[in-house]
Amino acid sequence: MRRRSSLPATFLVPTLAILLVLSMVPTLYAIVIALQNRELSTPGYSWVWFSNFADLFTDRRFLNAVWVSVKWEIVTVVATMVVAIGLGVLMFEVASSRMRNVYCLLFIIPVLLPRVSAAFVWKFAYHPLYGIATYPYRLITGGLIFDPLSKPGTALFAVASVDVWQWGLFFAVIVLKLLETLPPQPIEAARLDHAKRWQIHAYVTLPMLKAPLISLMFVKMIESLRSFDLIYVMTRGGPGVATETLDMYAFSQGFIESGKVSYASAMAVLMMIATVITFTMLWKRVQA
Amino acid sequence: MSAIVCSHVDKAYGATSVIRDLNLAIEEHEFVVFLGPSGCGKSTLLRMLAGLEDISGGEVSIGGKVVNDLDPGDRGIAMVFQNYALYPHMTIFDNVAFGLKRQKVPAAEIKKRVEAVAKTLGLEPYLGRKPTELSGGQQQRVAIARAMIKTPKVFLFDEPLSNLDAKLRNHMRVEIARLHQSLKTTTVYVTHDQLEAMTLADRIVLLKDGVIEQIGSPAEIYRRPGNQFVAGFIGTPNMNFIDAMVARKGDGWTLTGAGTLLSLEGSDFYLQHGDRVVLGIRPPDLKTAEAGAANLLQGTADLIEFHGNDALVTFGSGGKEISALVPARECPEQSAPVRYSFEEQSIHLFDAESGRSLRKQ
Repeated sequence: MRRRSSLPATFLVPTLAILLVLSMVPTLYAIVIALQNRELSTPGYSWVWFSNFADLFTDRRFLNAVWVSVKWEIVTVVATMVVAIGLGVLMFEVASSRMRNVYCLLFIIPVLLPRVSAAFVWKFAYHPLYGIATYPYRLITGGLIFDPLSKPGTALFAVASVDVWQWGLFFAVIVLKLLETLPPQPIEAARLDHAKRWQIHAYVTLPMLKAPLISLMFVKMIESLRSFDLIYVMTRGGPGVATETLDMYAFSQGFIESGKVSYASAMAVLMMIATVITFTMLWKRVQA
Repeated sequence: MSAIVCSHVDKAYGATSVIRDLNLAIEEHEFVVFLGPSGCGKSTLLRMLAGLEDISGGEVSIGGKVVNDLDPGDRGIAMVFQNYALYPHMTIFDNVAFGLKRQKVPAAEIKKRVEAVAKTLGLEPYLGRKPTELSGGQQQRVAIARAMIKTPKVFLFDEPLSNLDAKLRNHMRVEIARLHQSLKTTTVYVTHDQLEAMTLADRIVLLKDGVIEQIGSPAEIYRRPGNQFVAGFIGTPNMNFIDAMVARKGDGWTLTGAGTLLSLEGSDFYLQHGDRVVLGIRPPDLKTAEAGAANLLQGTADLIEFHGNDALVTFGSGGKEISALVPARECPEQSAPVRYSFEEQSIHLFDAESGRSLRKQ
């Protein structure tokens, strides 16, 4: 018995040890720094305990960043799922199996692009004078200028559209494949039960796919937390602070504007705690 | 008026033809069974009636209305699937009520009707449960309830009992028969199980390769098979077939084959001197021969299958395996010589070329 039980440990311990070092050391170090007043400009520091956290809650720019992050999360997750389910169902309904393969291939390409490349491509596409995405507006209005990335009202949505372009299309492929795995008989039974096309999906197929769809949504929620690269390339948090998410603000506090590493760390720690709590609650809720 | 009429119906997938020029009329209140081996097109035909498969050619009408281009929901039919096809995420109540909800029937009426149907089928205790919490038989009963509640003009059953174990299958078969007796709804039932077909059907439609081989009551099909395929397909154990040559002899005929010489009066059959025919005889029609009996089939018993009341004796005769179903007490020893005879009324003769029955109508 003893020999048996030592085998899993032999395999697990080295892996877990590496993982522990890689993940826990930076985390713990971030927590430690967050309790000090380190700045990049001077080597000296002292312990200030929770004053960084206290300062954060009176920092209007931080509160704005929280709100932007929440908006970003909701907009990207909802839009991705809507696009994924909409396109997936549409492909399932109208495309022949050969065309489905073609669409799937096309829809996977965006997510294969590195985020930074995608961001640059779309930054050009949204260019007010030369961009292809703003071209229809210029054409209709006879040359008026529309610059979605530099308007506070549209900037977040313009950046979010790139995220949805990458992930919504990819998830559409997954939704299509999920629909294809369903047994055809309940769908046929629903057709005999007077269900219209959209009702079949609303009442039969999508509820049957509830568990995988929720998993997909969780994946997207976690993925959406990492918005930094897109926003950094496309707007740098601007115009003003309109697209400044928490990670963007932490980065600019830590490395660009003031070099207040401890202040930035406090933000990161807070974000981590909030994320853990939110996801635990959501997960519990879904399980119930 | 006929409940269902198929005229010149064709079905093809690309170049592969599945059903060819099929004509069939099903009367109101009739219980019709589509029977045939796998791949004969019986399920496809049923799904074409249901509207789940396109009709490549010809016309299908249900209740006097051509339904070729109607949606499945608008055809006045209800279908029960082999694997139940329940909605797994809904309770039994919601499963049964789904069709009525889509038709915007008031909630109070839905409740009343679901409860009534559940009572008929003994599903009342399960209405709040999910399909996975029910046994196979109960699930199939839910599927039947879901079909019944729509009060359709026609019930379609697609091998509804194939997923159940033998005992439950017998039980459900009786339930379906009772249900049809009380509801009198026109029913089309697809199966490959001839026992189901024989016991349930008013008429059997026997299909092979997308073509109707014979239509008739179970007794007709069993007693007067129209061709060699039908004769071989219907009846357990299978009919024995013996190739034979016909010769005229006085007023009667002789058949030579399988190492025997049989003499017949032959008045029931169209026979001609020199015909090559296939003689068909069902195993239960072979009797242990008394001394001096005519029309003997003999050989040595090489396989004996004990069934309880009866035993199936298989023996070689003239290079041909022949089976006889005899009462168990007359069962011979293994490798013992056996002699069986038969009455002329119990034989079937088929044309060796076309397989058609030579029986005079």
